[in-house]
Amino acid sequence: MRRPPVHLLVLLLLIVGLLAACGSAPAAPVAAPTEAPVVEEPTEATEESTEAEEPTEATEEPTEATEEPAEATDEEPTEAPAVSEDDEYVFGMVLVGPINDGGWNQAHFEGGEYVEANLPGTRFIYIDKVNPADRPNVTVEQAVEELVGQGARFIITNSAEFADGTNTAAAAHPDIYFLHASGDGVLTGEAPENVTNLMGRMEYGKMIAGCAAALQSENGRLAYLGPLIDPETRRLVNATFLGAQYCWETYRERPVEELEFKVTWIGFWFNIPGVTLDPTRVATDFISEGYDVIISGIDTTEGLVEANKAAQAGQNVWAVPYDYIDACAQGEEICLGVPYFNWGPRYIEIIDEARAGNFMARWEWLGPDWSDINNLETSMIGFIKGAGLTEENGAIIDEFIAKLAEGDLQLFSGPLFFQDGSEFVAEGAVATDEEIWNTPQLLQGIEGQSAP
Amino acid sequence: MNKIGSLLSPPPWTPRLWQIMLLPSPFILALLGALGITTLVMLIAGVSPLAVYQILFFGAFSTPVRFGDMVMLATPLILCASGLTLTFAAGLYNLGVEGQVVLGAIAAMIPLRLFPELPTPLLWTLSLSCAACGGACWALLAASLRLGARVSEIFAGLGLNFLASGLALYLILGPWRRSGAAAASGTALLPRDIWLPTLEGLRLAPLAPIIALLGLGLVWWVLSRTRWGLEVRAVGINPNAADRLGVAATWRIAQAMAGCGALAGIAGGLQIIAVFHQLIPNISSGVGLLGLLVVLLVLARPVWVLPVSIIFASFTVGSVQLPLALGVDSSIAGVLQGALVLSALLARGVRRERAQRI
Amino acid sequence: MRGNQVPSHTFYCMQIAIHNLTKCFGSLRANDGLSLSFAGGQIHGVLGENGAGKSTMMKLISGYLRPDGGEIRLDDQVVHLRSPGDALRAGVGMVHQEPLDVPAFSVLENLLCAAPRQALPSRAAARTKLLDLARQLHFSLEPDAPVNQLTVGQRQQLELVRLLLCGARTLILDEPTTGITAAQARALFAALRQLANSGSTVLFVSHKLNEVAELCDTVSVLRSGQAVGRQLNMPQPQEQLLQLMFGAAWNAEVRPPQGREQANGHAVGTQPVPTWQLEAVRAREGNLTLANVNLELPAGRVIGLAGLDGSGQQILLRLLAGRMRPEAGRIRVHGQDLSGASASAYRQAGIEYLPADRMLDGVIGALSLTEHFALLQGKGQLVDWRAAEREAREAIAAYGIKATPVSRINSLSGGNQQRAMLALVPQACRGIACEQPTRGLDVASARAIWQRLLARRDAGCTIVFASPDLDELMNYSDQIMVFFAGACSPLMARNELSSTRLAELIGGVGFTPVMSDQ
Repeated sequence: MRRPPVHLLVLLLLIVGLLAACGSAPAAPVAAPTEAPVVEEPTEATEESTEAEEPTEATEEPTEATEEPAEATDEEPTEAPAVSEDDEYVFGMVLVGPINDGGWNQAHFEGGEYVEANLPGTRFIYIDKVNPADRPNVTVEQAVEELVGQGARFIITNSAEFADGTNTAAAAHPDIYFLHASGDGVLTGEAPENVTNLMGRMEYGKMIAGCAAALQSENGRLAYLGPLIDPETRRLVNATFLGAQYCWETYRERPVEELEFKVTWIGFWFNIPGVTLDPTRVATDFISEGYDVIISGIDTTEGLVEANKAAQAGQNVWAVPYDYIDACAQGEEICLGVPYFNWGPRYIEIIDEARAGNFMARWEWLGPDWSDINNLETSMIGFIKGAGLTEENGAIIDEFIAKLAEGDLQLFSGPLFFQDGSEFVAEGAVATDEEIWNTPQLLQGIEGQSAP
Repeated sequence: MNKIGSLLSPPPWTPRLWQIMLLPSPFILALLGALGITTLVMLIAGVSPLAVYQILFFGAFSTPVRFGDMVMLATPLILCASGLTLTFAAGLYNLGVEGQVVLGAIAAMIPLRLFPELPTPLLWTLSLSCAACGGACWALLAASLRLGARVSEIFAGLGLNFLASGLALYLILGPWRRSGAAAASGTALLPRDIWLPTLEGLRLAPLAPIIALLGLGLVWWVLSRTRWGLEVRAVGINPNAADRLGVAATWRIAQAMAGCGALAGIAGGLQIIAVFHQLIPNISSGVGLLGLLVVLLVLARPVWVLPVSIIFASFTVGSVQLPLALGVDSSIAGVLQGALVLSALLARGVRRERAQRI
Repeated sequence: MRGNQVPSHTFYCMQIAIHNLTKCFGSLRANDGLSLSFAGGQIHGVLGENGAGKSTMMKLISGYLRPDGGEIRLDDQVVHLRSPGDALRAGVGMVHQEPLDVPAFSVLENLLCAAPRQALPSRAAARTKLLDLARQLHFSLEPDAPVNQLTVGQRQQLELVRLLLCGARTLILDEPTTGITAAQARALFAALRQLANSGSTVLFVSHKLNEVAELCDTVSVLRSGQAVGRQLNMPQPQEQLLQLMFGAAWNAEVRPPQGREQANGHAVGTQPVPTWQLEAVRAREGNLTLANVNLELPAGRVIGLAGLDGSGQQILLRLLAGRMRPEAGRIRVHGQDLSGASASAYRQAGIEYLPADRMLDGVIGALSLTEHFALLQGKGQLVDWRAAEREAREAIAAYGIKATPVSRINSLSGGNQQRAMLALVPQACRGIACEQPTRGLDVASARAIWQRLLARRDAGCTIVFASPDLDELMNYSDQIMVFFAGACSPLMARNELSSTRLAELIGGVGFTPVMSDQ
């Protein structure tokens, strides 16, 4: 009988393994309950409804062979208790990360909540953490299926990774409208007719972020905590670099050669233990190598958190988080500001159109409302200055934003060269939108992998 | 006290009611225990257990789409569990099954990338054969560490798992990355015409479960009908005695490992050509570990692998609905699966203890 | 129970009585209304064949099992023992057949972790007490030796010391002489007698009559869970005890050993090719070296290997079976040079090995006899279950195994397992190397096993066996080889030896090894 200990050992290892496989969500510092009920009805109501489902199912057994109608009628009673389901427009969201990540996903989630609050008659449901680490057996299509099952008629998918899944799901549900955020399926023609694309011109936010970093840095060594490498992330890094370079030369009046700009890519939008580089580790490495501003390009806030720790230990380090308007909250003093997305207003318009039957498939790349980039009712993106920025630097940032708003400062203007020395923008020319959107390489002067 | 005891207890040769209830069906006991634990968890979390169970047990059968998803999850699970049945029969705890799935997936990618122009049936056969070889080689690595260097296959397997996912990650971020990008999310999608064909409107590729059932049937036949299977079982129970009786124990251990690796590799290959259509870091999706749970639960009896795999797969697929329908985290499926195995082991332990006293 | 109270200072003797004790396992009544009482300060033998309920009774008294009915009185107090710890606190300690200790720990550490805190306040105190007690009892226990390097006998001594230090006044020993050498048994008996003289009560469980006769003051006999002989004062005539142990079966079945006469007749005919030929073989295991062995083992003989545990006889057996490769020299099996060949080559050449521990490496516990025969079929990819079952049935009939072809081997009794193991030896085999062929078997089972072995010998097979039991060696061997500290004597014809002479040789008195230059 030497087996039992082995049994126990194996079981222990299994449990550990499964826990690891289930992937604890990236330590989300915001203490919002992860399992916050999506549907705000009391659970009893749903329970009743699911129980009520059974008899219907029983009576409909003979018709079950025809799948689509049966499915539709099956699902109907689920919504029955909802007061008047006719004028309730349910829209769903598939999020790649947790809704409380203090970044990309939280910005989307709050955008959804904004729609629910400001567009009467809508209801918001979502599935978050749809990624192979957190939900190993759930694909985008499956998540869409569940949302549709819950009555969703408009679905937002929020990751570039979801492009293929969104297109497949949209093809399978031609009666439902899809918004794929950050994708370009409409532009490339890969997406079916019921898919629209939306992305903000975060290049401006990143330029401001780069500028703030260059203004505040003591030694001119800036580090960029990059997610994975694709055209989107490359153009954002380039924009940050251009903003930093401009402010370094113009306001600090220092030579370009003294500005160091390094990118380290972790491999995904957020930390997946064992798969990506650990962003916490990357951030601490940045600090120990002497970089004094960490600009984040990932969904989560490790860069800010680590810089804050180092600052509390007496080092002069700052950070620029990303994506979410309140991201600075986790390290106020050293936060130089945050470029953020404000999805809500445009979501309202698109969803309202779809509800009214005026859905239009577009590839949209919206800039800020230059009259006030922080107007939450009109501006797609914005930049909130952080407490870490000195007053005079804050004034310079305002000046820089004003220049961008007037349109006479075009940072993507030539001559610009790629890392391999090839020309990106010729002398005197300005890069077109498509050139910027499809950026194939990082710019000369940036240290880091381009993956052309 | 004794008096009352003797009054209450019938003569010892008539089995008592609780014996009748417990002895023949540790599975029922396990199920009750697991439901008890899970119910407790849910009550603590403040959700209605009944509603959750309804979704967990029947959710996967509610629509054809969900049913299809369940089948596609059960497929690799059945393959892994069949393979693990072999290694359990040989007395091995092949915790390296995850890595074998990953290696199978990687190996399956090779012909798909090299010869996408081949006629698809040939390409699929080639791809799955490569997958089987890849998984078998990875398993043989663990076996040789055990046989040659006396490293327990548990630890060798765990180490090789890390190595395998590292290799997959390297390929995804390095040589096999999408053009113009480098993301840990996966390689580019395979061309649609070399995907395993699915049923209209579903993600169910009928060929995959058929392959899985063939694999399971093969394992059952081998273990119950062939000399080789009998020898493997003998080695699993008592390698010294089997050796004394003339069984080549070392060979049987290596062969059982290779067999398991081949089946796990095919599971990985199917994940590529029938499920994900790309190589992703978590290509195994934990089916190997889930397969281990299945095999622990059924005690390596191949006949039970099919139903239990289906049940486990339907828990997992059903649980996807939980956050939406009830606001419950879908990890409750994992709790139920784990609790099921735990209480099955407990029930078995209790039974063994009683059997030993007799 | 104060820490400094060693058992030699025990003040009064503990008296044990059991009344109407009953314990059932399923439909089996292992103990069935058992009533016995044991006076203090004496050594009480408990006899019975395998499965008579001895071990169950002892486990009940020492708290390892709880009775279904009846009561246990210690010094006229009814006690309810819930655990071995309970029993030990009440003063009853049991030494198991297999010592329960932590192999990786040293002797001292084992004592420290097993004894109650107040008994051994410190390492130093524990060391002194251990050494004191060991000296008193003439035990050779080295405090810092790791337990896994001790012999079974020494581990038993350790267990005894532990119980005494924990304050046990009654010691229960379950088959203590199984697996230990004769010398260790003598030391154990001396210690037990000394303990009894100083007031301890000893319950000695055995199925070996001679041991009970040698050691015990009284004897009780169990059969089928009931007491058939109560506190008979020793000595008792052996025949009567056997009657009690085996009941009617004794007269009907068990007759004194036969084998001898046939053996003599057979030994005359010599076969041209010896089964084994060893030339200048050297082999080493641990720190024991067997050097320069030159041997010829003729066909159709039973050769007994005598010697203290670990004197080299196990090495020879394993050499003969190919389970160990010689460092030098040649081994021929039936004329074929197999030096350095694998165990399977030896099997091919018709050599079978029967290990002492059946369940550990003899048979595959969870498989049935049919499955065992299926394993032996050796040809074809598919199992011929019908043939296997037929063979199993034949074996069951031929070897008198109490089992069905499909019952698992581990559900059989020890004697039936041994018969099954023997039945699995192919008919065509030339040589059988067996270690303690009747270990743990009662008289009747042992005799049945020997009947089969002798039948094999008569069919021309050479049987080489090692046994610590002098009677077994004298009764069944045609020739005997004695091992002493890694040296071996020449083959001696059994009828030139007497038991006393053999015992002397084993102890090294007048032992003359084969000269190494021969």
